Amino acid sequence: MALDTILQVVISGLLMGLIYALVAAGLSLIFGLMDVVNFAHGELMMVAMYAVFTLWQMTGLDPFILLPVVAALLFGLGVAIYRLLIARALSVRFNRGMVQIFVTFGLAIFIRGFMQFWYGGEFRSITTTWLANRTANVYGVYLPLPQVAAGVVCLAAFAGLLAISRTEFGRALEATREDREAVALIGIDRDRIFALGWGLGAATVGVAGVMLAGFYYVSPNVGANFALIAYVTVALGGFGSMFGALAAGLLIGEVEAITAQILEPSLKQVGMFAIYLAVLMFRPRGLFGKI
Amino acid sequence: MKRFLLATAALVALGAGQQALAADDVIIGVVYPLTGNGAPVGLDAKAAYEVAADIINSTHAPIPMVMGAGGGLSGLGGAKIKLVFADSQNDPQKARAEAERLITQDHAIAIVGSYTSATGATISQVTERYEVPYMSADNSSPSLNQRGLKWFFRTSPHDEMFTAAMYQFFKDEGVKTGHPVGSVALFYEDSIFGTDSSTVQRKLAGEAKITVAADIKYRANSPSLSAEAQKLKAANADVIMPSSYTSDAILILRAMNEIGYKPKAIMAQAAGFQESAFLTGAGPLAEGAMSRSSFALDAGPARPAIGPVNALYKAHNNKDMNDNTSREITALMTLADAINRAGSAKPEDIRKALVATDIPGNQTIMPWAGIKFDETGQNVKGTPVIQQVTGGVYHTIWPFEVAVQPAVWGVGQ
Repeated sequence: MALDTILQVVISGLLMGLIYALVAAGLSLIFGLMDVVNFAHGELMMVAMYAVFTLWQMTGLDPFILLPVVAALLFGLGVAIYRLLIARALSVRFNRGMVQIFVTFGLAIFIRGFMQFWYGGEFRSITTTWLANRTANVYGVYLPLPQVAAGVVCLAAFAGLLAISRTEFGRALEATREDREAVALIGIDRDRIFALGWGLGAATVGVAGVMLAGFYYVSPNVGANFALIAYVTVALGGFGSMFGALAAGLLIGEVEAITAQILEPSLKQVGMFAIYLAVLMFRPRGLFGKI
Repeated sequence: MKRFLLATAALVALGAGQQALAADDVIIGVVYPLTGNGAPVGLDAKAAYEVAADIINSTHAPIPMVMGAGGGLSGLGGAKIKLVFADSQNDPQKARAEAERLITQDHAIAIVGSYTSATGATISQVTERYEVPYMSADNSSPSLNQRGLKWFFRTSPHDEMFTAAMYQFFKDEGVKTGHPVGSVALFYEDSIFGTDSSTVQRKLAGEAKITVAADIKYRANSPSLSAEAQKLKAANADVIMPSSYTSDAILILRAMNEIGYKPKAIMAQAAGFQESAFLTGAGPLAEGAMSRSSFALDAGPARPAIGPVNALYKAHNNKDMNDNTSREITALMTLADAINRAGSAKPEDIRKALVATDIPGNQTIMPWAGIKFDETGQNVKGTPVIQQVTGGVYHTIWPFEVAVQPAVWGVGQ
């Protein structure tokens, strides 16, 4: 295999891995905070993709400009989902785990159905952006600019999450995660922290969705393709670990790209699931998990 | 509250509609993916069948095609065709269950379907067991009619016929331009459609002495196809031959562009490549892509029914007929014609009438020689065309006698 082909494979894996990582980050955040697996996570990403598509259609503005608007929208949606659904699901007395699963699972089906009802089942695409379909040729290695931009934004988003974790709110988040009963005693409003955590998680996956919409199709089922990989990423990186999500996302992107070169492409997910199984067997808390 | 009232009203109307069903209505079950990734195609199919049923049932100026006179089924005293739709979600097991429900609960006397070959395979097993006809409108896998089924009928050509047409086109175009096809790269999704399509393509490539430079089976609906694009680029075949549904079709063109690869020629096994969502989604990247088709919107003069039928479809669904929707309308017309000639709603009578079907091509909206089933239930008179995207629209480029423009041929350039 020629050197430029190898480089191309590594770069493709890296760029996809950054997207996987950012999708997983929001999931990991919510799980780490309150032990709730959000089955509607892929659907939140899909909502963000439709939101940016609709705003682009209405205003003609570039997804880059619309990014903060959609992130804010998703933040609001995350808070609303917590307040209206999750808080209630958490307050049941029996079978809390099951109730949480069914609530988020039901939400996923509802969002998917609603989007098909509202937008129809068509595959849609944002066709006119600054970077649409553009590539840069660097010494024989091609860099797809929309994906490079998405990668940069993903890294920036991780930096943002890191910065947030150093603030007062971040420390409250961390404390709530460590011991949700004790924080109430020192005057931290647990309910408020949870709501903000959901908002932050949704906004994170919203950012991933907006960047993805720059080079991917938008359809009611688009979230499902990414959600499964997000769950694997979170489990691999370690529940609740932001750095773990980033590392695992990159690892999965690379493993997927390399497996597809070695094996038949239809088996390209075999490599990632093999690593996942190995981690589950030998290090069940994930690569960087604390729990 | 208003919405609640509306919902209640809708429910009441639904119930009332069922009660109002006349005893002599002929019920036909229609199974398509109405939700999920196949939904864009399934919802278009639903619109197509509604238009076809309307042409059969309502009173209107006659359209020059089979069952185009309107006014219901004259052979059954003007009985109306009543369609009952079911959602397969593109899942073979759900398709099986829905087909069974349509036959046992809704008393469908025939089933029409179903877009993907994987769902067509399970539905036709159910119809065989319950002994009702299955009219395959758009399942293209060649293995479907080779299973010795008595109740399976397919109006559309299958992928072996389509692929034979592609290789004949390669040969004709090679002679015409002096740039013959030396190698092809097969690129196909991992369900029955993709694998069967590739089997035929591989076999015919061997017979035509064309090298298969790459043979790439990929997982449908993958988040990324960049690794697959790499392999296609490395092979750099004269023609890439994809068998893909819509989402993958959009994605592979983008993935090839992302690594700076512009294929010399693309010849698609229709499916996703013939969808309007693909043409908008892939945009300029789709330019020059070729695809087989069983329909030619631009064959108007030789098929006078295309104009009025397309006008009705467009009024109903706000887009032109395409490869899939035209085949769906044709399938229902053919089935209705058989029921009409049988003069009976008994499945066995309908099956006999289907076996005796012989519709000339100019009585359809298709560019075919006609509709006549062989002993396996396959229409042997369905002759495909090859089309190419220029200016964002598919134009017929082969057979040369029906072509509206010459091919833009990248091979040998």
